[in-house]
Amino acid sequence: MSLADHAPDPGEDPWAALEHAAEQAARAAATRPSPGYPLVGGAKPAKRERVVLAKRRSSRRVVRTLADLEDQTSVGEVLVRQLVRVQLVLSIRLMLLTAIVLVGIPLLFLLVPSLSTVTILNLRLPWLLLGLVIYPFFIAVAWSYNRSADRNEQDFAEMVEN
Amino acid sequence: MREQADFYVTIAAMVLIALWTTLTGIYGARTRSTSDFLVASRTVGPRWNAAAISGEYLSAASFLGVAGLVLKGGVDALWYPVGFTAGYLALLLFVAAPLRRSGAYSLPDFAELRLGSVRLRRICTLFVILIGWLYLVPQLQGAGLTVAAVTNHHYPMWIGAAVVMVIVTFNIYTGWIRSITIVQAFQYWIKLTALAIPVFVLLIHNAGDNQKFRNSLLSSAPLTFTQPADVVLPGDVTLAVSEPMPIQAAGTVDGQPVSGLVTWAPGEHHVAKGTTLHFEAGSRVPVIHGAALDNESWLRPMGSSPHALPATYSLLVALLLGTMGLPHVLGRYYTDPDGRAARRTTLLVLALLGVFYLFPMASGWLARLYLPQLLVSGNTDAALLLLPRAALGGWPALLLGGLIAAGAFAAFVSAATGLVISVAGVLSTDVLPGRLRGKFRAATVAAWSVPLAFMLAVSSLDLAQGVGLAFAVAASSFCPLLVLGIWWRGLTDTGAAAGMLVGGGLATAAVLPAAAGVLPPTWHAVLAQPAAFTVPLAFLTMIVVSRRTRDRIPSDVSRILLRLHAPDRLGLSERQDPSQFGARIGVVPTALPRSRGGRHRR
Repeated sequence: MSLADHAPDPGEDPWAALEHAAEQAARAAATRPSPGYPLVGGAKPAKRERVVLAKRRSSRRVVRTLADLEDQTSVGEVLVRQLVRVQLVLSIRLMLLTAIVLVGIPLLFLLVPSLSTVTILNLRLPWLLLGLVIYPFFIAVAWSYNRSADRNEQDFAEMVEN
Repeated sequence: MREQADFYVTIAAMVLIALWTTLTGIYGARTRSTSDFLVASRTVGPRWNAAAISGEYLSAASFLGVAGLVLKGGVDALWYPVGFTAGYLALLLFVAAPLRRSGAYSLPDFAELRLGSVRLRRICTLFVILIGWLYLVPQLQGAGLTVAAVTNHHYPMWIGAAVVMVIVTFNIYTGWIRSITIVQAFQYWIKLTALAIPVFVLLIHNAGDNQKFRNSLLSSAPLTFTQPADVVLPGDVTLAVSEPMPIQAAGTVDGQPVSGLVTWAPGEHHVAKGTTLHFEAGSRVPVIHGAALDNESWLRPMGSSPHALPATYSLLVALLLGTMGLPHVLGRYYTDPDGRAARRTTLLVLALLGVFYLFPMASGWLARLYLPQLLVSGNTDAALLLLPRAALGGWPALLLGGLIAAGAFAAFVSAATGLVISVAGVLSTDVLPGRLRGKFRAATVAAWSVPLAFMLAVSSLDLAQGVGLAFAVAASSFCPLLVLGIWWRGLTDTGAAAGMLVGGGLATAAVLPAAAGVLPPTWHAVLAQPAAFTVPLAFLTMIVVSRRTRDRIPSDVSRILLRLHAPDRLGLSERQDPSQFGARIGVVPTALPRSRGGRHRR
């Protein structure tokens, strides 16, 4: 996979892997001489200011993790890479499903011509599939994507906030 | 007189649509401060925005073109509406939420924000203009065709096109139309109503016809005329017959002047413009080149052409991946408050489009029953417009015809407005020299005069096919930029530029001769659908060149990717920091209130 490379393999449960990776990165960061919060703030004052102004969750802890995310420390980097990867895997999976259906329909009728003369409800099967059935299918795929993508983001946000 | 009445009803429909867009525009301008407030407090929810996106998206190709293609090509034509809809699924899966969070208003904005290159921005600008122009041609053609068709070609094509352009330009010049979400949202419901009511009435009428007639399409019998018909050919056509058939012709057939009864051998016959063909009731329908020869091949997939499978796939690639590269669609996402709302909006768009596309399909069926003569004249795009007259007659036909004409003009005006604003916006900010405001007005004229000239100068394709070309170019240029830009941190400005130029350039080179109609049919079939080659090529070029220019990866790539993908509730995408990404220029200076940071398009 050429996209989102360098990230550890999510394996069976991407979020377990993510948490594991985050822990490792945190440990690695702790053993290193820390750049220190004020130091970073001194270098890029505007950045910290804006994060504080992000009003919704304003516990100090969140602010610090967000700052970590923004400042591209290894913890933040790993977290973001994992989020992007989990979302990309989700999108690609659903795109593949859609592509299989879209590529499969004409192929099916080409390989099994008798299918195209099957009549249901006074409509030929190809018409029924392409004219009616495929639209609810699109909506179902979109709906399941929205649900999963929202859940991934929620998990990420919860992890950042804890 | 019949034609006179039709003409006046069409004019009335056009005037009504013009008044409607102007009045809602004035209303929008009047209540501007209030609605500013409303938009700012995010009461324009996904439902309104989804209707607005659909309203702007459903153009001449969807309103008139799909019905014509179904009449001609049968079940294969359904890939067009399927692709038009599936494009939003791809947009949802890969682009919608991250693009909204990026805060970019247009594609050039996104390119500059993500990769920080002014050179790349210029290339994007070029493609926005090109795609906008390609997309405008069928809108103008549809408008011209509407007037020409309802007046039986007594008025030339340019009149309808000119009327649409006058409405669009007038509204943009006065600043009354600001692509307000609510106006465009109403446009969706106007179009749906203007299509659904006539189709329902005609279906009920059809159910009252005798059963043999109703079911005649389901039998494998050849298509025949049910009534005697005289067809005057509005242009040169190539007609195909499958069996020897006698035909009454007056004019020029196969280069020979004819008058009276001739017998056509099976095969193709070239018939010159102005020739009159007379058909008795019950005689077979010869069909134009590319149409399904009989009902059986019309009913079954890939019945009309042996090359249909690769062509179908290439079309699907273009439509599936091209939607995300349409300039007038992406700007709409700006109205959504955050990435999650952008996703919900797209889900609703899928539903709205799915409902809409049921009706063009149904009207394609009806047209095949009532209007077989369109398969002879080749004027299949006019099917929907002529359908009430062919099926009903009397004042109901006039009324429904007027309704359809009004819906069609709403489609031309709304799609053309969105496109002209997009193209004029980039023309005035990135291309034309001079002072800003004057530039936008000059740019408006430039934005539509080129496609108008193109439409009038060259013989053109079917509406839906013409729109398909714009999708092919968008899929080969902007789709890889967006997808790789959002998901791959390795993308560089050089790679993006190379990919866009190779993919988009090749697609354009293939598509322009097809749009101009200068190609022989065999070449046309290959070149009019280049997406299956050019899209992978564009992706490949982008990846390979980016790999080779690794040192040009922007240093802030992690921060931008975080901003694109971080959940909305963390508030990372809330912030706008123009200084960080270079001075981003508003795309629509007259149409965008920039005072509030310009985050909402109205």
